[in-house]
Amino acid sequence: MSNENTETEKNVLTTTQLLNHYAQSIQTGLDNGSKYVNAFTSLNTTQDLNELLTAAVSLTNYQLNSDFVEFPHQFSDEDVQLIFFARLLKLSDNVDGLSISNSEHVQKLLAKFSSLGDNTFTFTKSTKNAAGFFFGPTAHNRPLFYLNLKSKEMMFHSSALIDYFVVDMEGLEVSALKQAINVIMRAAEVLKESFGFKIDFNVLDGVNGEFYEFAAGAIPEPILDELFVKSADNQYILMSGENGGASLTLDNDTQLNVYNAGDEDRPKWGATIHDQDQKESWLNLLLDYPFIKDWYLDNKKQLEILSNKFIFG
Amino acid sequence: MDNKIENDPFSQTDSILASALSEKVKYLSNLNDSIKNGNDLKVYELMDPNRFATEVKGEQADQPQTNFFSLAADLKAQLSHHLSDKLIDYLGTTYPFFYYHEYDLGKFNIYFGNWWDHRMFGELDAINVRFNFAKDEYNTLAKSFELEAQNKRVNDDQMRELGQKNEKLTQLIEDQAKRDQRKEEIRKQIKENEEKSPMPWEAGKVKEEHQQLQNALLDLTNVDEQASGARAEIKKNENEILALSKEETIYNLEKQNIRASFGSFEAFIENNNNLYAKYLQSLSKESQVTDGE
Repeated sequence: MSNENTETEKNVLTTTQLLNHYAQSIQTGLDNGSKYVNAFTSLNTTQDLNELLTAAVSLTNYQLNSDFVEFPHQFSDEDVQLIFFARLLKLSDNVDGLSISNSEHVQKLLAKFSSLGDNTFTFTKSTKNAAGFFFGPTAHNRPLFYLNLKSKEMMFHSSALIDYFVVDMEGLEVSALKQAINVIMRAAEVLKESFGFKIDFNVLDGVNGEFYEFAAGAIPEPILDELFVKSADNQYILMSGENGGASLTLDNDTQLNVYNAGDEDRPKWGATIHDQDQKESWLNLLLDYPFIKDWYLDNKKQLEILSNKFIFG
Repeated sequence: MDNKIENDPFSQTDSILASALSEKVKYLSNLNDSIKNGNDLKVYELMDPNRFATEVKGEQADQPQTNFFSLAADLKAQLSHHLSDKLIDYLGTTYPFFYYHEYDLGKFNIYFGNWWDHRMFGELDAINVRFNFAKDEYNTLAKSFELEAQNKRVNDDQMRELGQKNEKLTQLIEDQAKRDQRKEEIRKQIKENEEKSPMPWEAGKVKEEHQQLQNALLDLTNVDEQASGARAEIKKNENEILALSKEETIYNLEKQNIRASFGSFEAFIENNNNLYAKYLQSLSKESQVTDGE
């Protein structure tokens, strides 16, 4: 025991050294803090998209507190994503689409779409990936999309989008719903065009020929029978298509095809939409045609559109 | 040789035979030329000169003309294939809702419409210019027209019956709580009954009451059993209703299409009955127009 004591005593710092070390540690903590403040100011005020992204990435998972300096009021990583998202839209000419509704509440910022009334939205951190965040309505734990600013990825969750906009928001004007969807789409497009984000638009994809894959793989004939009957009730005629599939011509020559893209042994049923402006997406179709929505919801188990299982699973 | 002719009771001469043969050769060569020239009108005349005379030209034949078609009868499939070309073009405008599939040389299935699950409606006989409708399919369509006049549908009764069944089944499921409560009461009553120690003259009555309670309980558990399978039964009935309404949707489309082209089912039948004459007259008009040019 006495030996050890002598050993330690040899290494003990002088008072000056100790106080210097203390001062240095505080300085490092303060420097760390001012770096944070710079990034935060940039996030909040920059007019440049690249600076905005850099600031958001550096602020995500930022270790602000140190042993010597602690900051009692901090925005969370989720808040950072939301500020980024709102400012991205502002800088992209979408001034009124989405706004942060409670900026006085540090730690849990909420956003509102101008067309969706009092419904609030927020980001939640992924449990699998520290840089990944889910965006969804505050009231439910169902993410509408996944955003990872670090790996430059954005993915939409098809069945959550449908559950929210088609089922939960039923009764609201379709135009109001589309307005909110367009806000999210606009953000996705800017991320893609300005930063080369990889985006999985899924049920929001309006490009002609995008294949919306059904969860069931094989679709039993009665399900198409039901679409046939419901279409006829609404003065549309479901035509028989290739390979046991079917096609439906809707308004403005918009064409919905339902078919097996696989083969008999490995069926891979799904749908494609063709329209002149390449704007109609699966989600739009469900909003625009109540009978297609009813058909989808009646057979949701089979017709659910698949999303990335790894991210959302 | 001379002797033989004198003895021939049929006065056959080679020249008679030769002329008979050359008539046949002429027939076949006429048929061949008509096919080569794409003169389907002539082909039809050659295949059945008597029908052609009465139905197309409107002549009253006193003497039936000799029909040589037996000479080419084994080529019916090939002829049908050839003739179908123009015939289907013609039918495409007069019966725009029929679709044809040549499943074997010169043999055509008719499909009514190209909508989902369209019905196979019979066969097209290109040689006789005739639809051979599938009996069942045709009869259902006729029945659908007939019932429509009375504001009814072919599958109405069946659909109503299934709907009522499902209502009852739903009620069975909904009444489960009520039944459970009732069973509880009966069990209590049974227990009370069993605890009774009746006077000998009352024993029969108590026993009878016990039996009645047991029966009531058994009835309720039987209903429970029905209710437990009710959801599957409802789903099954719903599928049947769906299949039936699909059929009705198909009949409706068929009726709509017939009305759009012919005005009524009667006019459709009338046109079918005169299809041979109508088609060949249209071919004849066409050839006159071409000749005139």
